Amino acid sequence: MAMDMEAARRSPPKQVTVRIRRYDPETKKTWWQEYKIEAHRGMTVLDALLKIKEDVDHTIVMRYSCRQGICGSCGVVVNGTPRLACQTQLTEVVSDANPVMTIEPLYNFPVIRDLMTDFTDFFNKHRSVKPYLIRNDKEEQENPKGQYDMYPDEYLQIYQYTNCVYCGLCYAACPVVAADPEFLGPQALMYALRFVNDVRDEGWKERFLIVDTEHGCHRCHFAASCSAVCPKAVDPAGAIQSLRSKLFRFRLGLYKRRVSKIIGPPPEKGEKVPLPPEATLLPGVDLKKLEEEPVVIKLPEDY
Amino acid sequence: MAREQGGAVEKENRPGFWRSSLNPWTVRTKNNPERVAFVLHRVTGFIILAFLLAHILETDSPVWSQIVYHVNGWAFWNHIMGIESGLAFRIGEFIVAGAVLFHAPNGIRLLLTEFFGVGVGRPGDPKPPYVPFTFTAAQRQWLYAVFVVWIVLWIIAGVIIFT
Ligand code: SF4
Ligand code: SF4
Ligand code: FES
Repeated sequence: MAMDMEAARRSPPKQVTVRIRRYDPETKKTWWQEYKIEAHRGMTVLDALLKIKEDVDHTIVMRYSCRQGICGSCGVVVNGTPRLACQTQLTEVVSDANPVMTIEPLYNFPVIRDLMTDFTDFFNKHRSVKPYLIRNDKEEQENPKGQYDMYPDEYLQIYQYTNCVYCGLCYAACPVVAADPEFLGPQALMYALRFVNDVRDEGWKERFLIVDTEHGCHRCHFAASCSAVCPKAVDPAGAIQSLRSKLFRFRLGLYKRRVSKIIGPPPEKGEKVPLPPEATLLPGVDLKKLEEEPVVIKLPEDY
Repeated sequence: MAREQGGAVEKENRPGFWRSSLNPWTVRTKNNPERVAFVLHRVTGFIILAFLLAHILETDSPVWSQIVYHVNGWAFWNHIMGIESGLAFRIGEFIVAGAVLFHAPNGIRLLLTEFFGVGVGRPGDPKPPYVPFTFTAAQRQWLYAVFVVWIVLWIIAGVIIFT
């Protein structure tokens, strides 16, 4: 989700009403509960929830850890939109005109208790696309003699996808996951593309066969809601379309890409490594100039 | 796979039928006209399907009316044509025209994006404010073009149908 960069500078209303959808697994009851809290500038939705937990009602159950949008565990539905609680400023969701916010557990996930949802299925789907490097030469992979080469433009093919924090917001927003619980889902399909795109990987055939099913990438209808809610701009919607077009080419026997070679062990200290002729450079890098004034990186003595 | 391991929680507390069926309507997302297009594409698809079935029944009526009602097929055909020139059917025609005129151009956009992967942008290095590349890529402009083409053609169709 595009970030509202100004939100933290605005002031939220003094008093905010928080309506939380709660669930008690013992009695199997679901109900809405309302809390009123004093808000302050810079307060996030997670801060508000913790304030309620500390001062008003200790029985609320939620999940969180890093409080800075890195761990991906605090996903909840705020006013109908899946969001990371810790990355959402109160000012983004309430205003003086409407100081009420509703918080629900993530859609499309089974609820364990209150705002805590069960991610078992989500992670099993993630695992099912083999999210690890697969090389044909297993012996080399187990006992590596060198590194796999990869150029900056090739790295950009996967970088964006590696930003995923497994928060499940995409999964909660997807209308297809809602209708078909077996659908692999935006996150897992995006991760399949992340490894299909990775030049160090040779397992694309296996992955194409995994996603080429009724519940795989053909199920996606490009509603792009996954991309609209993703807090890291991972853009699973675009990833799935490009995965599907690559699968299409693969089935026609037209899919090809470079596989990285093994290059020697890391250079010794002070050893000069020539760039291979096919290397691509980042814009603004001038090799000749570098040759004249080499950049010397000084390591601390005790390194 | 996942289903067995999910265990009791999985089965007991999966979101209900209504929540699941209404998900396209109940989730609120910003900057996401693709979702509007997705919902419209489904609804118009159903309208077109319903029309096709009715159309088959209609064009086949000289045959089945003889079997079902034992009447002269062509007389029955004229009878049906008489009913269908009424205002209610013209409005129906107008709705079907709208459905087709959205479904077709949007279908072309979906073919391009889903099969050929064009118009969805290339992966890169996202920077704040983190707008996904798909939303700034060509498919977004195509989508707006689809909406414009749809409305314009629908107005023209309305003029043809009602005058
Ligand atoms: S683009 Fe595909 S995966 Fe993403 S929300 Fe839409 S249907 Fe779901
Ligand atoms: S793709 Fe985005 S929304 Fe989905 S799990 Fe990863 S970070 Fe979360
Ligand atoms: S608490 Fe870690 S992402 Fe919100």
